[in-house]
Formats: sequence, C-alpha cells, structure tokens
Amino acid sequence: MSAKVEHHPETLIQGNPKFSSVTQHISQIVEDKTKMGWILLFGLSASILMMLLGAVGYLLFEGIGIWGNNQPVSWAFDIVNFVFWVGIGHAGTLISAILFLFRQKWRTSINRFAEAMTIFAVICALLFPSIHVGRAWLLYWVMPLPNQMAMWPNFRSPLLWDMFAVGTYFTCSLLFWYVGLIPDLATLRDRATTKIRKIAYGIFALGWHGGNTQWKHYELAYLILAGISTPLVLSVHSIVSTDFATSVLPGWHTTIFPPYFVAGAIFSGFAMVMTLALIARKIYKLENYITLNHLEKMNKIMLVTGMMVGYSYGCEFFVAWYSSNPYEQFAFINRAFGPYWWAYWTMITCNVVVPQLFWSKKLRTNLAVMFVVSILINVGMWFERFVILLTLTRDFLPSSWGWYWPTIWDGMTMVGSFGLFFTLFLLFLRFLPMISMAEVKNVLPQADPHYHVADDHNADKSVKPHPKPGIEPGTAMGGAGL
Amino acid sequence: MSDEKLNGKLTGKDYWRSLDQLAETPEFKEFLHREFPEGASELRDSVNRRTFLSLMGASIALAGVAGCRKPVEKILPYVTAPENVIPGIPQHYATTMPFGTSAYGLLVENHEGRPTKIEGNELHPSTKGASNTFMQASILGLYDPDRSQRIMEKNAERSWADFVSFWRTAFDRFSTNQGAGLAILSESFNSPTMARLMREFKAKFPLATWVTYEAVSNEHVFEGSNIAFGSSLQPVYSFDKAEVILSLDCDFLKTEFDNVSASRGFGAGRRITTENDSMNRLYVVESTFSLTGSSADHRLRISSSKIPAFAAALASELRNQGLSLAVNTTNSGEFDSKWLKVLASDLLKSRGKSLVCAGYRQPAAVHALVAAINESLGNVGASVVYVQPADAALPNRGELTQMMTKISSGQVNTLVVFGGNPVYNAPADLNFGNALSKIENTIHLSMYRDETSRAVKWHVPMTHYLETWGDTRSSDGTASVVQPMIEPLFGGHSNFELLNLVVTGEDQRGYDIVRKTWEAVLPGSFEKGWRKVLHDGLLQNSAHQPVSVSADGLRINAALSALPKSDSGLEVVFAVSSQVYDGRFANNGWLMEMPHPITKITWDNVAMISIATAKQLGLTSGDLVQLTVGGRSLEMPVWHVPGHADNSITVELGYGRTSAGRVGDKVGFDLYSIRTSDASDIATGATITKLNREYFIACAQDHWSMEGRPLVREANLEDYRKDPKFAQEMVEHPPLESLWDEHSYAKGNQWGMSVDLNSCTGCGACTLACQSENNIPIVGKKQVSNGREMHWIRIDRYFSGSVEDAEMVHQPVMCQHCENAPCEQVCPVAATVHDKEGLNVMVYNRCIGTRYCSNNCPYKVRRFNYFNFTKDTPEVVKMAMNPDVTVRFRGVMEKCTFCVQRISEARIKSKLESREIRDGDITTACQQACPTSALTFGNINDPNSRVNKIKAQNRNYAMLAELNVKPRLTYLARIRNPHPELVTGAKVEHHG
Repeated sequence: MSAKVEHHPETLIQGNPKFSSVTQHISQIVEDKTKMGWILLFGLSASILMMLLGAVGYLLFEGIGIWGNNQPVSWAFDIVNFVFWVGIGHAGTLISAILFLFRQKWRTSINRFAEAMTIFAVICALLFPSIHVGRAWLLYWVMPLPNQMAMWPNFRSPLLWDMFAVGTYFTCSLLFWYVGLIPDLATLRDRATTKIRKIAYGIFALGWHGGNTQWKHYELAYLILAGISTPLVLSVHSIVSTDFATSVLPGWHTTIFPPYFVAGAIFSGFAMVMTLALIARKIYKLENYITLNHLEKMNKIMLVTGMMVGYSYGCEFFVAWYSSNPYEQFAFINRAFGPYWWAYWTMITCNVVVPQLFWSKKLRTNLAVMFVVSILINVGMWFERFVILLTLTRDFLPSSWGWYWPTIWDGMTMVGSFGLFFTLFLLFLRFLPMISMAEVKNVLPQADPHYHVADDHNADKSVKPHPKPGIEPGTAMGGAGL
Repeated sequence: MSDEKLNGKLTGKDYWRSLDQLAETPEFKEFLHREFPEGASELRDSVNRRTFLSLMGASIALAGVAGCRKPVEKILPYVTAPENVIPGIPQHYATTMPFGTSAYGLLVENHEGRPTKIEGNELHPSTKGASNTFMQASILGLYDPDRSQRIMEKNAERSWADFVSFWRTAFDRFSTNQGAGLAILSESFNSPTMARLMREFKAKFPLATWVTYEAVSNEHVFEGSNIAFGSSLQPVYSFDKAEVILSLDCDFLKTEFDNVSASRGFGAGRRITTENDSMNRLYVVESTFSLTGSSADHRLRISSSKIPAFAAALASELRNQGLSLAVNTTNSGEFDSKWLKVLASDLLKSRGKSLVCAGYRQPAAVHALVAAINESLGNVGASVVYVQPADAALPNRGELTQMMTKISSGQVNTLVVFGGNPVYNAPADLNFGNALSKIENTIHLSMYRDETSRAVKWHVPMTHYLETWGDTRSSDGTASVVQPMIEPLFGGHSNFELLNLVVTGEDQRGYDIVRKTWEAVLPGSFEKGWRKVLHDGLLQNSAHQPVSVSADGLRINAALSALPKSDSGLEVVFAVSSQVYDGRFANNGWLMEMPHPITKITWDNVAMISIATAKQLGLTSGDLVQLTVGGRSLEMPVWHVPGHADNSITVELGYGRTSAGRVGDKVGFDLYSIRTSDASDIATGATITKLNREYFIACAQDHWSMEGRPLVREANLEDYRKDPKFAQEMVEHPPLESLWDEHSYAKGNQWGMSVDLNSCTGCGACTLACQSENNIPIVGKKQVSNGREMHWIRIDRYFSGSVEDAEMVHQPVMCQHCENAPCEQVCPVAATVHDKEGLNVMVYNRCIGTRYCSNNCPYKVRRFNYFNFTKDTPEVVKMAMNPDVTVRFRGVMEKCTFCVQRISEARIKSKLESREIRDGDITTACQQACPTSALTFGNINDPNSRVNKIKAQNRNYAMLAELNVKPRLTYLARIRNPHPELVTGAKVEHHG
C-alpha cells in the first residue's frame, strides 16, 4: 500500500506464515463446517435478540411509559445505551482510519473486526434514539425531507446534528469496511466450492480480480475513505456530547464535553475491541495474528485515554468550583455524594483506578488481567453515561427533583442490544474473514520487495532474520491467487 | 338554558343526554343497561391497574371505533337545530352548588348542551367569580360513570313508578298515624324549598323523627353561638375588613366552609403594591400544618386539644390588657407568654378591625369564647356579622345518637336517608349498618350505590346538582336557584323531589316544587323576577339581616369549665380531607390525584406527625403503624411533617371507601372506623405501634428545602421597606446578553403573566381549573409515584426555618413562556416554537416525543404522555372534555399554553367587533379560579394593562432569570408581616 516499507521494524505476525497459509487459515474459519460452539453462542445471542424485538414491540405498542423514564428524568437507559454504543464504535474507526493514516502497521490484524464492531455498535446505537421517541413512526420528520408543510427540521437542535453525525458516521464506516473487504471477498469467491457461496461472494466482490489498476483504485479509495473517516472519529462523539453540552442544565452545560466524550469513546472502544479480540483469538487460534504486541499497544492506548477521562472528571469538579455557580457546584457534589453516589464511584473505580494497572508491563501483557480490565472499563464507561443522564434527577428546582429506577423493559432492551450486537458479530465471524488477509500479507516480511536482501541492509539486529519462506508469485497482494 | 328550556315547555322530555344517545349507538345503549360499566369487573387486576387508573377509571371498550393511531370520531348534524345553540360557541348559565349549610354561586360553561367547565359567579358573594377545588372537580362528578343508574329494591331493579306506589302505601299509613315510626336522616342544607318541605313534614308528621347528620360540619360553630348568644347563628366573616386575624385551628383558606369568600377577603387584605402599603397580619395557632398556617405571619404549633386552654389564656391576657370580657378564664401558663402578650396587644390595637376565628374541630365552648372575644373587640358588625340561618337544617351529630336508641327500641319502621353515607361515615360506636337491618323499610337517595345504598331496602339514584332544579342559600343568606345544565344523565331524582313525595305523597317535578317556594319569596312580577334570579344566579339583596348579639358570660364560663382537661398523651385529630372532603368526592379522580397541599401525597391519606414525635416513636415516613384510640385500631402509614405539633396525629377522613366506585375504592384508610361519637374531632389517649412494614406512597414532591436557592423570594415587611428592591437584587449574575440578535416582541399583543406569591395560599384551585379547562388526564398512583403526573400547573411547596417550627411557602409553577426558551432550541422537529405574541406554543401534531425539551426546561413544567392516558376514558367522561382543547395522544409532550384557546376566542370576538383585544378580555383558567387573585394575565406590551402595572412593582422578579431565558411569567415576592416584637432576625437572605 505505501510506497516505502520499513525494513522489518518489528514482528507483527508471528509463526512466520506463508502468504498461502494466511489465506488458508483465515478463509478456513469461514469455510469450515459450522462449529458447535458457534451454534450455541449464536443461539444464545439470537434468543437475546428476540427478547429485544419483543421488548421493542411492546414499547411501540404501549408507549415509553413501560420504561422507567419519568419527570424529570426524560432520558435514561435509552440515551445511556445510545451514547455507550456510539462510544464503542469509535475504536474501530480509530484503528482502521487514523492508525492507517499514521502508518501503524500493527493495526492490520485487528482492524477488520474492529471495524465490524464499529458498524454493529453503531447499529445498536441507532436503535435507541429510533425507538425512544414517543411516536417512533414519525421519526422521519427529523430528516429534511420535502413535505406538504414546506417545513424544515430545526437545525438548531443537537438531536438533528446527531442524526447527521451518526448517519454520516455509519455510512462512511460501512463503506470503508466494505471497500476493505473486497479483495478478501474475492478470495473467498475464488475458493468457494458451492454455487451459492460463489454467487453470494461473487456479487459482493464486485468483479475483483486483483489487477494492478484495481489495486490502484482500491488503495486510493481506501485512502480517501480513511481521510473522510478520520475527522468523523472526532466529530461524532463531539456532536453526541452537544446533546448535553448545549443544554442549560447544570452538569451538562460544560465545554469540556466534546473532548471528554471523544476520549471516553476511544477508551471504551478499545476496551471492547480488546474483549472481543481476546475471545476470538482464543477460539479461532489467531495468536500469531493478534499478538501480545498488539494487545499491549491497545492497553497503552487505554491507559492514556483512561487518564484523559480521569482528567476530565477532575476538571469538571474544578470548573464547577471555579464557576461559583451554585447549581453547577451542587450538580457535581450531588453526583459524588447524592443518592446515586454508587454509580459515580463505580465509574471512577472502573475508569480511573483500574486502568492504572497497565503501568505495569507484567500486568498489561497478562491476558487474564487485560480481559477483566477491558470488561471493567466498559462497565465504567456505561456508568459514566448513566451518571451524566441521572444529573436530570436534580436540577434547578428542588420541587421537581425526582428519582429514576429502570424497569424490566429497560433491562431487556439494554441486554437485548447486546444480543443484537453479538448476533451480528457472530454472523460476521461465520461469513466474513475476520482478519484482513490482504492487509496482513502486506505486513509479512516477504511482502517487502527487498526481503531477500534484507540481511544486507537491515541494521536492526534486534530482529532476528526470518527464515526464508517461499514466495508464491501472484499471491503477495492476496486476491486472485489461490 | 334558553328561556324555553327554563319553562320546560319546548324541549321537555326531548333533552338528550349525550351526542351518542342522539346517535343511538349500540355502545351507549349498552352502557346505559349494564349495571357496571364494562371494565369495572376487570379493575382489581393489578396488571391492569395502570390502565384503568390512567383515565378516571376503566374502559368502555369502543369496539370498532378505536383506531390504531387516531380515534375515529362520528359527527352528527342536528336534524332540527335547537334555538340559541350555535355549535362551537359555548353558553354560560348561572347556578349554585349546595354545600352543607353553605353554597357556591357558579357560572357554568356549556358546549352544545353539555356542561364542561365551572367558574365562580362574579355576582355571587360566596365566590365573587373565584372557585375552589371541590367546585372545579364537581364537573367530573357529573359525568362519573359509576353513578347509580337505576332504582333498586334490594337487588331487584324497580321503576320510579314502583317506588312511588310503594311510598304511597307508606304515606297513607303515616298520614293517619302522624308519622309514628317514620324517621328522616338528612344531610344539612340551607334551602328555602327544602326548609319549606321540612316544615311541612314536621307539621304533617309530628311524631316522626327528623335527624340532620353530617360527619363533618360547622355544628360546633352553631352550638357555640347558641351558648354565647342563646341562638344558633351563622357567623359571616369579612376577612378583608380585618387587619389582625387570629385563627385557632381554623383552616379558613382551604378546608373550612366558605373558604372561597374567606380567601377572597384574606387575599384583599394581603395585597400590597408598594412597600408603603399596609397588609393584614395573620396569627395561627394549630396542631396540623394547614394552608392557613402556611400563610401565617406567626404560627404557634400546639396540640388541638390544648387550643381551648390557649383561647382561655388569650382571654385572660386580653382582660389583663384592659379588654372588658365577661368570662372567667385563667391562663394556664403553658404558652409562650410574650407571644400571647403581643397577640393580645395587636388584637386590642385593632379593635373593630381584627378577627378571631376557631375551626370546626374545636368544641362549642371555644366558639362561644371566640364569639365573646370578637364582640368585646368590637368586631361584631364589622369583620364578622351573625345571621339567623332561617332556611337551614343545622347538623347535629347528637340527633343521630338519639335516633339510634329509637331504632334499637323498635320505634322506627321507616327510615328515609337523603344523601349522605351514614353506613360509611357515622360514628363507629353507633354501628349504623347493623341498626339499618332492624328497620323494616329503609330508603336511600344517593348519587352512588355506596355503602349505605347497599345496606338499605330501597335505593333511589340522586341527580347531580348540575342536573337538578333546586334552590339554596349561601352562609350569609343570599338565595339562589340551582338550575340544571343538562337532563339527568342516568335518570335519578333530586332530594327536592323525593322530600316532596315523602311529604305530599305526590310525584312532582323539581321545577314546579322550586317555583312554588319562590312564588312566595319573589317580590313583584314572579316571572320577571324568576328569570332575573336564573340569569344572575342569585336573588339580589337576599342576604339575611345581621342579628344583634350580646354574649352571655355565665353560659360561656359554664361551657368552658365543662370541657375535659387536656391530657398530655397522644391526640388524634380527625381532619376533613382537602382532597375528598368527608369521602363524598372519593370517586373523583381529579381530586384524588390533586397533591395534598402540605404533604403533596396523592391517592392516599396518612397519619401526619411531627418530626420530634416521629423520632421519639422511632418512625419514618411511610412506616405502617397500628393507630389505636378509644379501643379501636387501624393500620395506616405515618408521614412526618415539619411544623406539625408534637404529640398530635392528624388523620384525614374520607378515604378507605369500599363502595365508592372504580376510582375511590380501597384507596387510603378509613378513619371513620376509629372515630366515635364522643370523640369525633379530637380524640386523646391514642397509641401508635410500629408494625415494621412499609407502605408505598405516591408523593408528588418529596423534597422539603429550597436548598438556599432564590426561587421563592420573601422578606418581612419591615425589611422590604428598608430594601424595596430586595427581590430583584437577590441574585448576582453577569449581564444577560445574547449571542444572537433576538427576536423583537415589540409589536402587537404580547402575553405575559404575573403570580403574586404574597397572595397565593397554595389552595390548588388553579391546578384543577387547568385540569378541567385543558382536558388533562389523571394517571393513577403508580404513575404519580413515577413522577408522571400531568398537571400543567403545580404548586411547589417548600419549608424554611427549623424543621420543628418550619415556615411554608407555595409557588405555582407552570410554563414560564420564556422568550429565549431552552425547549425550543433543542426540538429537532420544531414542535415547540414561539408565536408572534410571545407564546411558547406546543404543536402536538408535530411532536415526535424526543422529550429533549423537557430535559432542557429549567422549570420542569413539561409533561409527557408516557402512555395513551385517555385511551380508556369512558364515553360519558368524554363529555366533560373541553371541545376547544385537543386531547393529547401518547408520545407527545404537553404543557401550559396560557389557555391559548381562550386567547383565540377573545381574538375572534374582538375581530367581529372590529376592535383591539381589551385588557381583561382574556382570563386564563387558573387566573379565573384563583380565590386570592394572585394570578394576572394580559398584554405586557400595553403600558396600561393590569399585568404590566403589576410587573412594574418592585417585588417583581423572574425565577432563574440568570439563565437568560427571559420568562414571560414573573413572580411578586412574598412579604410576611410579623409583629416587630416577635421578629428574631432579619429575613432577607441574599443568595449567591
């Protein structure tokens, strides 16, 4: 992809696979008979998804009242989950777009399923604002569609910005992911043994045959989409944060929200990628592709973003104090010591305290530790949104102060959204290559045109020279080879 | 009603009951013929409880009519259009709502022949155009689908003709034996016709018994005047003429009789426009924290059973300070002597311009003493006059006790019960229900098939006062006619008709019975005078002449010394409910869901205790306790209330009904079950046992404190005079600049409102008036507990000071119609926008229900339809809806509109008359109802409008103005007027 390839900067892929064995290994996951473990997991996820459909069906039939939302807490689990899922999505785009632009080669092993995670997370996220409105069947009114009233939507509303931001994000992410998939889809098409697979992959492979012009266009398109997606990583959660930041409410009306939300999103997104990667790595035996090195890098990012989030929490308190605004001061004291103190301290523990473990190299390279931490971080990040939303319980007039407690339907919808996510994710694992074969091959040592003379030029002695695998012509860039 | 209708000539039996009857739809026919409306039997299912409460009750399923999204409505044109009825143009008729020995003059709005909204009658002294919650809610009572619909003999359905022939047999017997064995149990009334019939009854059946019973009434007031003056007289207070008022356990602003005129008068004496004006001073001595107590400048909390001692101490102090008072009282020394001294000197200083009043719960001796004090202070003839309630049946609980002995000795074989519900509310020790079974013939005339109706032989459905021809007198004697707005919806007969049948044996129409009385009353041409009475809603100058009185000190002394000594144990105070009164409004969803003025509890009654007593007994709010008094006990929850007297438990009557209807059944706790005839008002020697169980209570506002925020701003009068702009200076904030060019609202009508917190007593009439005007649904206990009540205007209640001797403030909060509205900015579909007259309007059709507006509303006045709260509204309840206001569907936001429909009506009218809208053309529903005129609405662009002049006062402030939302609704700061000698510290607090 890039013109200059550094010489063996580090071992990104272990086990020294051949190009063909990469193809073989990854394609096989898709082509093998369905494993019992997958069927069980899919059955579970699909059941949870059915529960979601039931909960949403009842919601549309009966009204928002089946949830715990009330006066003054008009938004609760619905928006908590929305922000949570949008946040999850961010890591995928960051990995696939920003790290791509920054030439971080190590991303190739994880970008495919991180992107898939993004798309599925955004689907889950989009579910919530769509069903949380009182009259979901009129949701299209937020779009600037021609209508008999000649009426525009209200462009001053952050919810409208949300719709554009998340919509754009979803479209770009989907395109980016799909474009990246095309060479691999062609590989699968070529390897297909049944007619249905051939046709299905054939349609989506868009006639890819691995020609030079195609690669040229492909790389340009990929670069452009990466360029478009990069600002979206920053903009989407910034705009989501304006739902809160542009309001007048104490605890919401703060300028720190956009960067704070973006940092939090990346934080939680990486945690989610980590959780998923650890599981997939184990089940599909991808230790050579997703190496400890990848995992450690992600842990470092989590440590950094976790500190940024922690800084934001502190900063909010400072500003509340410094503002001399009694409402603002109360809102923050109330968060930490009010009726929902446990949510606040759960958030602090999970988001600020727990990631500090990663200062230790031993801990951040320990699979069990990072698995637990990644889950805790997502618990913490969910609570962060919960804490923000529950600021609604106590705003300006003490007379209208209230309480919030979720109902069974809130719980079913939240758990159900995980069912939706995992159902989609399992389908992805089953039918699409979860690791980008084309890109992984690109970072194999033998992809380097100077590979055979590497010993002569490579000054980096810390990297042991690879044993020389045979290069099969025509397969270096994946695609039409096998 | 048109003149033709009044004369009953033209329309007669062709009155229709609803549009659906005209339509003869199968749904309506079925409704008429089912004893229990469909759904009533499904109500007990807890799963469905939300659904059925969400409306006012359960459902009359409109099979085939209920569409998926929008109700399909059938409209039918008139075949023969009635004269004077223009569809869409409401008509207003005057009538009167009888209420015990009192009455409220009303003006009722009718749409196409159905009454929809009740207002006070400006001509009538009992209301002067204002109203209270009971008046407002009575419109819903008219359309209550649980009202009794057929005459029953035991469990068999009978016709009116059957009943008439039954009575004729009895009548023939009593006519010959002078009424031996006949007894009447009546509610109290004050009515020329009823009084005429009662006199005829007593003349015709001299051996018969007539008992007037009310569970809650002013009988001690009458008895007190009987002690003091030797005659049962009705005091008529003019609170506006009093500069110093002392209330002894008397909640004259809310639960006492004639609270509308009292509030009117009190509000007038309270109103100030500048710091140099003077205002009245209110001292309140009470046990429970009442709304009157919350308006007090000085409030002393003592047990209700100690109030006689306090009154005696006050009398002694007044004598010490030189008042000639012909009673011998002693000061027990247990009360704050400085307080007493100051109070006495204040009363003495304002001789002839002061007023002492005692509550209905206080024994007659206290009322007698109070009468004597008022007389000595020269208040009689000034702030209070006494009139002879000539046409009234005065309630007397003792008569019921006497009748019980007659019943048990078999002297009564026929008992006719007119209204009331004695099986439910008679003293528990009388066992009235058992006694009924010993009587051969029992007849109950009642609007509901209630506890009593189920226990009697004959049940006759009674008409609602809005369906009745009748007459009444208000407390001061002003006579008026009760004129029907609609033909009886469910058949039924009035007490006028039944009493006439009982007395004469003739079945006559109420119209003829009433006219017969008035033929003797009206001077001059009868027909002309009659029409004027109907038109005005009263007979002008018909108030009784004041009686000159002179207190008899010896009798008062005797009565005082006969009072039992108060003991120091726990007392139970049986208070009338400010929601359901004595239980008669128990099936009224609006009242049930109206938050209690003090505790803000809905759908329940609780035992209110002070914080100290709660601590002492180890109780917290919501704990279930066993309350035992006089050997009878009851399980109920306790609730601690700041400012409540220690060692005193206030319980409210009227709850725990078993045959009230779908709304009122099994709601709350029946205090009548422990209320006995010897301790009906205040019972001492109570015990409380904690049960270690909790009870779920739906409280609409559980936070007490204002958290030091400058929301309600108040100051003492003296501090206000020193710093007249205190209200505006309370908040420091940066200059309120906008980033954008703001919309100019300099042209045309610009609507705004002012709320005078100094006048507001927190009575809640505005809340219910708004509910009635704007078709606001009720949502039920569970939804209220989840903060989903729909009231567009709520009364915020805060306590200040120490929790023991707390002070209370009220603040009505509705949409503030911000010019720079935070809600408008955030709506993605522009469903809430500003109109050019400065209204923040809510476009229901456009709303998709994101609820963002509600989040961003700093006042939290927006209400969301979490469910389709009107889905199951019974067909007949739909008739109570205001056709000028949309009924909102689920999933949309709603809020106060400043009664935009009334603005439109005024605009159309002004256009038709080719003129501008004048100040006063538009009155919002809340403003119209407010008995203290605390609310003023108008054009803030008109320099001469009343609202503009009020907003120019220095007490004017905008709540949360620092957010730069520019609310169109502003408040006038509250001023307390404490006696300078009793002020402990400056009251002006500056908030950061």
